[in-house]
Amino acid sequence: MGTVGITALVPPELVFGCGQTPFDLNNTVPTSECIPRGKLCAWTATWRDALLHGDLEIDRLVVVAGGDCHNALVDGQRVAMKGIPTHYLFYPFDGNEDEMEDHLTRLEAFLGGITDQTAINRVADIKDLCIQLDVARCRRKVLGSRVFNHLIQLCDMGGDPERFEASVRRALEDRASDVPDIRIALVGVPPIYPDFHEVCEGFGMQVVFDELPWEFARMGGRSLRTMARNYAGYTFARDLEYRFAKVEEELKRRRVEGVVHYTQFACHHVLEDDMLRDRLDLPMLTIQGDLARSCPEQEKLRLEAFAELLKGGGP
Amino acid sequence: MIGLDLGSTRAKAVRVVEGQVVDRREVPSPDWCQLLDMVEEGEGVATTGYFRHQVEGADAITELTAARWGVKRIASDAQIIVDIGGQDTKVQDLRTNRFVLNDKCSAGTGAFLELVASYFGKGVEDLGAMSEGAEVPADINSTCAVFAMSEMVSQLVGGASQADVVAGMHRAFARRIAELVPEGDRMVLMGGGARNTGLVKELSSLLDMDVRVPEHPAFVNAMGVVEYMTSSTARD
Repeated sequence: MGTVGITALVPPELVFGCGQTPFDLNNTVPTSECIPRGKLCAWTATWRDALLHGDLEIDRLVVVAGGDCHNALVDGQRVAMKGIPTHYLFYPFDGNEDEMEDHLTRLEAFLGGITDQTAINRVADIKDLCIQLDVARCRRKVLGSRVFNHLIQLCDMGGDPERFEASVRRALEDRASDVPDIRIALVGVPPIYPDFHEVCEGFGMQVVFDELPWEFARMGGRSLRTMARNYAGYTFARDLEYRFAKVEEELKRRRVEGVVHYTQFACHHVLEDDMLRDRLDLPMLTIQGDLARSCPEQEKLRLEAFAELLKGGGP
Repeated sequence: MIGLDLGSTRAKAVRVVEGQVVDRREVPSPDWCQLLDMVEEGEGVATTGYFRHQVEGADAITELTAARWGVKRIASDAQIIVDIGGQDTKVQDLRTNRFVLNDKCSAGTGAFLELVASYFGKGVEDLGAMSEGAEVPADINSTCAVFAMSEMVSQLVGGASQADVVAGMHRAFARRIAELVPEGDRMVLMGGGARNTGLVKELSSLLDMDVRVPEHPAFVNAMGVVEYMTSSTARD
């Protein structure tokens, strides 16, 4: 049993099934006080520096090489050079399921082989619960911030599936009475600001779709083959046409009124902004973050103005 | 009703009676409380701008919404709004309801104009006149306000006239703003920065569209917030 640092989506059911504990390095970033040196994207540079300085301890590292960015690939290699055993996981760009299974088989070997089918099944059951939680927020029974805080943890379940499951069940049982009525989607990478969803709620907007965390929930499987079939459809690893079509499907299904496109400074996803604006037939606001901290006042002004727009604040 | 635009550097107020602006006042933002002296008993107050939530009991909206309503009143066929404020520049496309704010860099904001004016020992309102006698506007390429200042100093050292340097600064500033402006035919240029005739001239020559400056460009948001509050069809 060891701690496996992951840089993006790595099937948690497989990591737990191999008797290891996943640790999503990204989940430490929004509350980090680290000001990384030599950075492009603060997401990857922050976990990189934390690992290099020994602020985070892991036994092995899995770098998502296909399906994440080149910043993560370079920063991951820099950590690997420190001597941490590292594996590179590639998601096939074309969604080939056989290729995906081959990559998962290699990952399984790196992690020591599947030894605990019960752990795999437990993760699958918890993901089913999270999908219920996602449905509940669309029905305005749970605050979007609470759902986001659970979905974003699906990559590692805080290292403790049992405790995480109890938290999900509590969130499902505690019905909120003050859910905002403007339905927005958060497209792109998750915001580096830890209070982003709460700020949106303060302006009367409920996030009913978190693009990337939703991927964490809908990917899964109870065998290597079913995992391969599901994870081959991971949108962030696929071509933009495939990803945008999935986004459009969810926006329609969730009756979204406006889209916030979160982009990260020096991230290649910034280049997708114009394409999304051309593609999506909804009011869209672009927010660009850099370092981890509370949502800046200027971004709050943008969000408040966006909320006014969606409320019908035009002449 | 009194409309207050409590901006980052200047606070403006208008009194609107039966749809007409009958009074205007303006003070430095730290003195915005003085504007409350205008309020008569029983008179409504609505606010916008950075300090908008500071006025107890007043309804508040953002500057972006206030600008849309204010411009609708004075130029109903406008397609684009460019609002050059003290700390940021806001560009809105009224056809698509999209907006961008230039706030991560001061090179396209009123703060940069203040920096330049202060260097010459002048007020921001003097910059337009200063550039009027320019013969060959100085070439200023930096996109950073501080480095642009360094370039201006270098141009002066090299013998360029103050008029040419200030005209060059206006051109550089206008280029910065123009990058944010979508294509269109009719634009309203407002905010305190629109009082700078040198900047208006440069921006008008850069953009291939009808650039209109309202008679009182710094008071559009104050008027807009009243317009919104008295005509709003907002959800809440």
